[in-house]
Amino acid sequence: MHKPILSLLALAALSASAAPASPRHGDKWIVGMSQCNLGEPWRVQMNADIRKAAEAHPEIELVFKDAQNDTLRQRSQIEEFINAGVDLLIVSPKEAAPLTPPVAAAFSHGIPVIVLDRKVLGNDFTQFIGADNRRIGRAAGDWAVRRLLALPRVKDGGRARMVELTGLMTSTPGQDRLAGFHAALQGQPVDIVFSADTQWLEPQARAEMESALAVNPQIDLVYAHNDPAAHGAYLAAKSASREKDIIFIGIDGLPQEGQVYVRQGLLEASFEYPTGGREAVESALKILNGDAVPRQVTLNSRFFTRDTVASGGKWLP
Amino acid sequence: MRPPVARRWLATPSFRALLALAFVVVLGCVFNADGAFFHWSTHRDMLRQVSVYGILACGMTLVIISGGIDLSVGSVVGLCAVLFARQTLHQGESAAVALGLVIAAGTAIGLASGTLVARFRVQPFVATLAMMVFARGLAKWISGGQKISQAIQQPDGSFAYEDLPAIFQRIDRRILWGNLSVVTLVFLGCVLVSWVVLAKLRYGRYLYATGGNEEAARLSGVPIARTKLLAYGLSGLFGAVAGICQAAQEQQGDPEAGSTYELTAIAIAVIGGNNLMGGRGGIGLTLLGALTIGYLEKILSINAVGESSRLMLTGAIIVAAVLLQRRGNA
Repeated sequence: MHKPILSLLALAALSASAAPASPRHGDKWIVGMSQCNLGEPWRVQMNADIRKAAEAHPEIELVFKDAQNDTLRQRSQIEEFINAGVDLLIVSPKEAAPLTPPVAAAFSHGIPVIVLDRKVLGNDFTQFIGADNRRIGRAAGDWAVRRLLALPRVKDGGRARMVELTGLMTSTPGQDRLAGFHAALQGQPVDIVFSADTQWLEPQARAEMESALAVNPQIDLVYAHNDPAAHGAYLAAKSASREKDIIFIGIDGLPQEGQVYVRQGLLEASFEYPTGGREAVESALKILNGDAVPRQVTLNSRFFTRDTVASGGKWLP
Repeated sequence: MRPPVARRWLATPSFRALLALAFVVVLGCVFNADGAFFHWSTHRDMLRQVSVYGILACGMTLVIISGGIDLSVGSVVGLCAVLFARQTLHQGESAAVALGLVIAAGTAIGLASGTLVARFRVQPFVATLAMMVFARGLAKWISGGQKISQAIQQPDGSFAYEDLPAIFQRIDRRILWGNLSVVTLVFLGCVLVSWVVLAKLRYGRYLYATGGNEEAARLSGVPIARTKLLAYGLSGLFGAVAGICQAAQEQQGDPEAGSTYELTAIAIAVIGGNNLMGGRGGIGLTLLGALTIGYLEKILSINAVGESSRLMLTGAIIVAAVLLQRRGNA
């Protein structure tokens, strides 16, 4: 990141967001949260993080809306928030382009907007908070390469053989988690011998892994774009009695999912994709109190291994 | 003039369904992924994979023969998976009690759809569409939107870990020296039950009669409403069995489990040659349809065909299989 540009952007943000001095309705700040889809555990976690962070602040009242993975429904829900005159809007948009106009409309109505996880186009919002999937994919790749290079067979000049179970490859998280990982494999003695799209789904991952096992007598590592897929792959390998020969790693690191799998020793590592829920509430309070916030916040993420999961993981280098 | 026996047999739906299956199996022999298609483990895994869909297709077949359709079965899988995981993992209920409760819940959902169709004359598509949405909501409500797994949240926000109850392992394991998954056995059991219902019981004749010509059936004394009600009830029951198998295989109850499974179940019934208009078909056809769909997915998977080509090929091969079936029917 270029620091000067960032601070310039932050200055622009200062001038753009004129926060209201007092709540519009009664004595509580009304904060609207537009979630694109509550079908994924990660997004349920995001809402839970927001709710938990807000518990300590009785001066704000949260209103949640779930767009059920429908762009146009999310658009009308944002419009409902504008009409209701919320004091601040948190949006985790389904897609950038079609949701830019309603977000911009809220912003031009004087409602500060925090955009979470996925971006919108242009500059008509107060703050963007998100994590970097490419960086997380890269970290997973670097970790995998280091782990594979330590295998005796690879030390003796052999090549490591791995399986990649991708997320939905038409989604940007899937593309970035692939690109970052592949960048780390450049020039390394590692071959991806089987790759399949699991669409983030565990049963799909299990079926694909069964095929990978059927075609490949030797698999050293499985990299799955989310922890449920890594878990599905583990179950397939276990069913074929080959789970002990394979290293499994996944992404997301949710406390009830990836971290549990690491604790149980099913996955060797899980890389956190932070929800930003807590950070969004902290920012919201600053904005409502009239403080300046940076235009963009890139969340740092942790990774969990058997040794570190009990102590809360380690931050990515 | 009676055609010779061989010719008549060639024109039966069973033979045509076999033809479609053979077509897909030949594809597998050609694109065998370095011989992977010739190992029993590939077929065993295919059978495991198709079992949940197949169980749903059994119930779907009964409903389709009665002249209806059941769009709610995918949501019933989600609901029952969540319920089963909650009762066993979180409530610590015994397996027998949990199994009974979940099967009762699935059957109740089916009977509710059946009541709408049979008593209130709501079109099956509409009634079961409403039930599909409602049951999915119920699954999310019961689970609080989260997967129900071994990790149980404590009041302070941390997580404690339950051991997996033995029933999960019992369902998700293999018998016959590792050569057959238990879920496949469950699927075959459902096929057997459906076969008895359709071919051996008077109720089976009622189903065909109701789907074939409802008015004629009514006039000849078939209890139309009860026949339909029971068909949806059985579909819900099979949905519950599928949900339990799903939860056991995932080791958790996912409120999203089973979405779009109803479409695969319908595809299995139709590719086998069951008539969507009702009144004709059989469970053998559904079994052949399940194998056809199962092999198709497996072959595309072991050859690591990309997602886009996979969808296009699946569409194309389904059409080819259905057209193959119609040959000789002209």
